[in-house]
Amino acid sequence: MVGGTLVLSLLAVAVVAQWIAPYPYDQMHIRDRFLPPSLHYLAGTDEYGRDVFSRLLFGSQLSLALGVTATLISMGIGVPLGLIAGYRRGATDELITRTLDVMMAFPPIMLVLLILAVTPPSLMKTAIAIGVLAVAPIARVTRSVTLDLMSGEFIEAARARGERLRYMLMRELLPNVWPLLMVEASLRVVFAVLLGAVLSFLGFGVQPPAADWGLMISNGRAFVDTAPWISLAPGIAMSITVIAISLVGDGLREVLDPGLRTR
Amino acid sequence: MAAYVMQRLGTVVVIMVAMSMLVFLATHALPSNTAALILGQYSTPETQAALEHKLGLDQPLPVQYWHWASRMLEGDMGQSLEMERPVAPILWDAFGRSAILAITSMAVVSTLGLALGVIAAVWRGRWPDHAASIFTYFGVSLPEFYWGLVFILVFGSTFHLLPSSGYADLSDGLGAFLAHLVLPVATLTLTLLAHVARLTRSSMVEALESMYVKVARARGLPERLVIVRHALRNALIPSITVLAQDFGFLIGGIVAVETVFAYPGLGRMLVGALERQDLPMMQAAILVLTGVYCLANLTADLLYGVANPRIRYGGSID
Amino acid sequence: MNALPSPPTQPLLEIRNLTIRYREGESKITAVRDVSFALKPRGSLAIVGESGSGKSSVAGAILNFLGPEAEISGAILFEGQDIAGLAPAQRRHMLGRRIGAVFQDPFTSLNPAIRIGRQIAEPMVQHLGLPLTEALRRAETALQEMGIDRAAEVARAFPHQLSGGMKQRALIAAALACEPPLLILDEPTTALDVTVEAQILRLLSRLRRDKGITLLFISHNLSVVRRLCDDVAVMYASQLVELGDVHRVLERPAHPYSKGLLASRPPLVAASRQSRLAAIAGQIPATPEPDAGCVFAPRCPFHEPKCSDGPQPMTITPDGHWVRCWKPDALQPWPRQQVTAATKPAFRRGDALVNATQLSKTFDAASGLTTWRLSVAGGRPRVYRQPRRVPAVNDVSFSISPGEVLGLVGESGCGKSTLGRLLLQLLRQSAGSVEFDGDDLARLPAQALSPFRKEAQIVFQNVGSSLNPRLSIGEALERPLALFRLAKPRDRTRRVETLLDMVRLPATYRKRFPHQLSGGERQRVAIARALATEPRFIVCDEPVSALDVSVQATIVNLLADLRDAFGLSYLFISHDLAVVAQLSDRIAVMYRGRICEIGTAAEVLAPPHHPYTRMLLASAEDDEAAEEPAAGGGIAAAAHSGCVFAARCPHKLGPLCDTTPPLRALSPSHAIACHLDPLPDAVVPREFVGAATLGTG
Repeated sequence: MVGGTLVLSLLAVAVVAQWIAPYPYDQMHIRDRFLPPSLHYLAGTDEYGRDVFSRLLFGSQLSLALGVTATLISMGIGVPLGLIAGYRRGATDELITRTLDVMMAFPPIMLVLLILAVTPPSLMKTAIAIGVLAVAPIARVTRSVTLDLMSGEFIEAARARGERLRYMLMRELLPNVWPLLMVEASLRVVFAVLLGAVLSFLGFGVQPPAADWGLMISNGRAFVDTAPWISLAPGIAMSITVIAISLVGDGLREVLDPGLRTR
Repeated sequence: MAAYVMQRLGTVVVIMVAMSMLVFLATHALPSNTAALILGQYSTPETQAALEHKLGLDQPLPVQYWHWASRMLEGDMGQSLEMERPVAPILWDAFGRSAILAITSMAVVSTLGLALGVIAAVWRGRWPDHAASIFTYFGVSLPEFYWGLVFILVFGSTFHLLPSSGYADLSDGLGAFLAHLVLPVATLTLTLLAHVARLTRSSMVEALESMYVKVARARGLPERLVIVRHALRNALIPSITVLAQDFGFLIGGIVAVETVFAYPGLGRMLVGALERQDLPMMQAAILVLTGVYCLANLTADLLYGVANPRIRYGGSID
Repeated sequence: MNALPSPPTQPLLEIRNLTIRYREGESKITAVRDVSFALKPRGSLAIVGESGSGKSSVAGAILNFLGPEAEISGAILFEGQDIAGLAPAQRRHMLGRRIGAVFQDPFTSLNPAIRIGRQIAEPMVQHLGLPLTEALRRAETALQEMGIDRAAEVARAFPHQLSGGMKQRALIAAALACEPPLLILDEPTTALDVTVEAQILRLLSRLRRDKGITLLFISHNLSVVRRLCDDVAVMYASQLVELGDVHRVLERPAHPYSKGLLASRPPLVAASRQSRLAAIAGQIPATPEPDAGCVFAPRCPFHEPKCSDGPQPMTITPDGHWVRCWKPDALQPWPRQQVTAATKPAFRRGDALVNATQLSKTFDAASGLTTWRLSVAGGRPRVYRQPRRVPAVNDVSFSISPGEVLGLVGESGCGKSTLGRLLLQLLRQSAGSVEFDGDDLARLPAQALSPFRKEAQIVFQNVGSSLNPRLSIGEALERPLALFRLAKPRDRTRRVETLLDMVRLPATYRKRFPHQLSGGERQRVAIARALATEPRFIVCDEPVSALDVSVQATIVNLLADLRDAFGLSYLFISHDLAVVAQLSDRIAVMYRGRICEIGTAAEVLAPPHHPYTRMLLASAEDDEAAEEPAAGGGIAAAAHSGCVFAARCPHKLGPLCDTTPPLRALSPSHAIACHLDPLPDAVVPREFVGAATLGTG
């Protein structure tokens, strides 16, 4: 539950970043370039004299927005696919699974690069690309959980009442699938944040002068000897965020596992 | 088993074809005009049309795809738009260098990762487990390039222990060769190690808590035998799948790590090609990388089939 | 205290005041309380009890199976030594060399990645110091002794390639590898079919005789232990309540609980519709308080105020029998349940409610790419599609009248569950038709199926998964009401309470969730859910198989009461012939997708029989006629034309049995599918057609 409080505070920070940041993220203080951390500039300044700490705060907005959006997209598509594949079996299932197999045959980054390379990148596009990438694993997990549930006889009992597809998916299957999905979702958010950082680092994600953490690290590369905080600070921020979300995911798994075993 | 192999081979072929189609389509969806790019300042509507016709770019897509695919299969990867040289030789050179990184990393990840996971499982709840757990937490919480930078900072700039970029050929001496490899390999392994260790731990724990292990103990077999012969044997089978999956992450990692360390491998080449919209180079690089991943998966599947008695000896005796 | 007066020889295993407590979070649960008994060499003791009685924990303590959360106090003396206090290495050595163990689930007890022979040989290498080749050779011999005739092949096989019965035989071989004097078996046959169970029991009996092994046999099934064991210990709610000679316990049980347990077991006779099983009221207490009085008192029909005065000690009767009751001799037999004569007359065999005609269902075993095969025939490779067809149900016809119960009996894999689902159209038949109330269900348009669904419902076997874990009981019961518009929203709560009352559950259960209920209670909810739609026909698919014996009786009685109250018809599916006989008006016996015999309960249970029916009856009565020509190992998949039972039939006639036998009517209501004419009578000495037998067990 440490993770929970961390995440909530992170979320709060991200939301109010604009108001609590000491400086706007793109405000340059030309005379104060390359300053190490101090009271004025909590994490120092970068090559343009921008306050690194403020940029960190704005960056949290970007990263969390990216993570959550990408995950929502992937779940919005992946969960129904997985449910239907698991419930229907037969030809539908095979078709869906084969398509997923093809998607998963790509090394993760290739698929995303493919999508991003052919259009000018932006935050939304990055989120969509990562979201699409994550559809396959989410659909797979959903499908296997659904298959597991299908062997439970309460599903057959519902069919013996002649329940329709919509009821079966929404009221019988989905409530049982949610808990595991939540755990998986936390993993996906972490994955999205990290992948987004890599993409920005390589130049295919968010574009300057946005205060994305990956971008900041990339920019700071050239100055890593003289002003390491430009690159190090975003890393620390990322690490805290990721660990917090992971803790929440692990905590969820612990809570849910015994409950699920009562069958 | 034969059926299993057949099925896997068939799937791989289908996937490779589908994949090549996707790559082709995606790159041809580029808004930029290839002909215009090539002609540069000489580009006018007439010259563009002429060049397009010459390059076959005005033909219907399926036909273009067919030409492209057949050329690829022969080994001709076209001309780099930027460097105006054939792609294939450059690509395979870079591929070789990346392969060194990849193979070394996978070797380290496999051995260390599995060992770490097994140790954490056998001593679960006690300090080795906790230590491993903390290590894995940090390992997965940051992307590779970050660790790369940290390593460069620590080992390269601050302590000047190891070169922080570039590549040295074997001909320059084994020492230099290895020195240039250490940091990139270490960076690559760090994240993957955590992942493999975690999953190995959980599959080993499952094996250790299984009924057949308890039965083996009830037969009075010594603990070491139980762990190695009974539990490990079963826990390693799913690890094959994990390692295959990690190979995919490795490929992604290679792209980032080669960029950070300015290592002249295929990943860095791909990034360059993407930035400069060098179409043939892009297509070839993505295709090769994905193809390698497919083959790795196929190998893993076959290994899994051999290791898992249920697949190797399917069916029943009665 | 010694359980039995000290025999001249020292007991092989002696348990003194064994108490086992488990730490669960903050609290402690006492699983075993002050249990003592002794087992003399070459003797055999059964520990019998229902779930929660603590019997498995006793075995676990001896075998050091319980985890660190268990606190064990008391003495476990093996060959005079207290093994509880031994150093781990010594205990380990003792376990392998001197004590063998076989557990309940053969499917998970074997390491899936190691060959069978190797697993049997391992203890020999470890404890006897044999070289591997020698150990493997002995392993093969051991498998042969267990009645497996293709021992070499089996030794080289992996566990997934064997049937359940074969696995268990292999496990027994492994347990006896080092020839230990003591063999502990924890419910070894519970997961097996009844005919396989009979074979395993006979095997154990023979081993005991031939090798002089001492047995400690743990089971929930009193009748199973009759042949195998000399003494029986009955456990209830963590305490030993009776201990003594097996014949005494089974014929003249002393403790009320033993009486109740034996009485609640249905006899293998066709019962009248008015009869009910004797059941034990109430439930096993979750937290027994033995210090307050006899733990069984709340459920005991002979209960007196004195019973709850203080802790109930063990008393010894003059003939050396131990009972935890202060007035065992004064007690009557367990009261038989009397039902007031049913006001409804027995059903009229009029028009059928459910009519199945030549019903068949074949599953395509594989799908998609996996059906493609590569063959290199005559030097040229060919790729072709080979579907593997498994007829689960094969040309089955019968009818069920309103108010009638048709029992369907067969072992696992025979297709009875598939048949039940076909009747309800949960699966589509491959051939044949199902008629309900005169309508052919396959021809009905989709909308018209809905009224049918209301009229026909199903109750399942698996109490763990037949209720949606995320819905409260009330929500689960309201859904059918809402779906079929059987009650207005404001009336639904009351209707749910009525339903709960019908299945004898308190109305407060409405708010509870499935995981808060016991197995028997969940099954009642499942029955209530089936009743909610006010059906006329219910398919009961092994509804009591997963329940304790005492709970089974209550559920069977409940089903009978509901049948009388609402004029319901059932298709009652079970592998347990006795339970089926209790509830059914007619019985159908099924084997590998075909009906072998069908008739009234009395007709089926009395000779002449179909050979398979005879085998089932013999297994249930533990008769030697249940012997099979060879240890075939169970119902494997391969379909072939002709009599499905031919491979296992002791009366096989040769080529004639390769043609499908006709269903010959012996009376207007009784038919048997067999070529034999006349059919063998009940008790005839074994007539085998040559093949090697399992030994003289």
